[in-house]
Amino acid sequence: MHEGTITSQIVENVLREAQKRNAKRVLEVRIEIGKLMFLNPEQVRFWYEMLTKDTVLEGSKLVIEEKEGVVRCPECGYEGGFDYVDDPAFHTLTPTLNCPKCGGIVEIVGGRDCFIKRVKMLI
Amino acid sequence: MKIEDVVKAEEGEIFDIELDESLLKANAELAEQNRALLRKHGVTAVDVMGSIGAGKTSLIEKLVQKLKTRYRIAVFKGDLTTTIDAEKISRHGVKTVAINTGNECHLDANLVRKALSRLDLNGIDLLFIENVGNLICPADFPLGSEKRIVVVSVTEGPYMVVKHPFIFMDTDVAVINKIDLAEAMGVSVEKLREDVKKINPNAVTVATNCRTGEGVDQVIAALKL
Repeated sequence: MHEGTITSQIVENVLREAQKRNAKRVLEVRIEIGKLMFLNPEQVRFWYEMLTKDTVLEGSKLVIEEKEGVVRCPECGYEGGFDYVDDPAFHTLTPTLNCPKCGGIVEIVGGRDCFIKRVKMLI
Repeated sequence: MKIEDVVKAEEGEIFDIELDESLLKANAELAEQNRALLRKHGVTAVDVMGSIGAGKTSLIEKLVQKLKTRYRIAVFKGDLTTTIDAEKISRHGVKTVAINTGNECHLDANLVRKALSRLDLNGIDLLFIENVGNLICPADFPLGSEKRIVVVSVTEGPYMVVKHPFIFMDTDVAVINKIDLAEAMGVSVEKLREDVKKINPNAVTVATNCRTGEGVDQVIAALKL
């Protein structure tokens, strides 16, 4: 949904790092996207290509790792993936805040962020 | 001891730098600052999120009408552009700040911080923050509020809740609006209520008709106001 905004933040932050180090060229940028961010990797790539034109990032490789959503149950201590409601009327599995182990109410603890993990640059 | 053996980067060398920089952290930190500022002044802030045309503004108008004798209220009204809705709300005699995001599909903590600087926080107790009509992005950008309402309406069809589970996971109150049109739309309000319950057992669901004010008292009760 907000691929444009997030990607321009990525490009801006990497450019700042590159300038700090007087990099000639950025070769590779590795990012991690939480699946609960609803960012479509294909659209992120499209924006990346557009936004890096005529910068030291142009032509660099964008590596995207996707991270699953993680929940934690304060009741029983479960930590892991969501439970899903399998209702045939929905035609798809719908995630729920019910704990898959004990039925308590879980908190979302992972998969809601986007990180720039590493940047490879030519100095 | 002076170290003489220093490794320096040479021209043309490749550096692999670990950044581990979060892109949402900046917003989350600003949201915490907003929350602290609001708490300090004893202001309760309520987010109003929801789809386009679901009735967010109508709900706020009704809430303002019913609550303005008990609370000193201010409203932030987020929209891409125009002050149409902000003017509608301000006619009820409450301080209203229009936040125009330009091309952005959600409010963020920085815009809210700017808007907060336009208010006399000692002169209010209750703040409604109406987000841009959108059921996806606002979930990722906390603003610093205490409570959250999500508004959907029956005219959007029977699957509005299950198609956007994550915004409902974040909400305290889910409002299903335009219930007077449910029959004509062939949409079951009870089914929508069950959908919310399945996704977020903590949320209180209220069925409303914000044109007449039906159900608005239950929204106020659910917000514990």
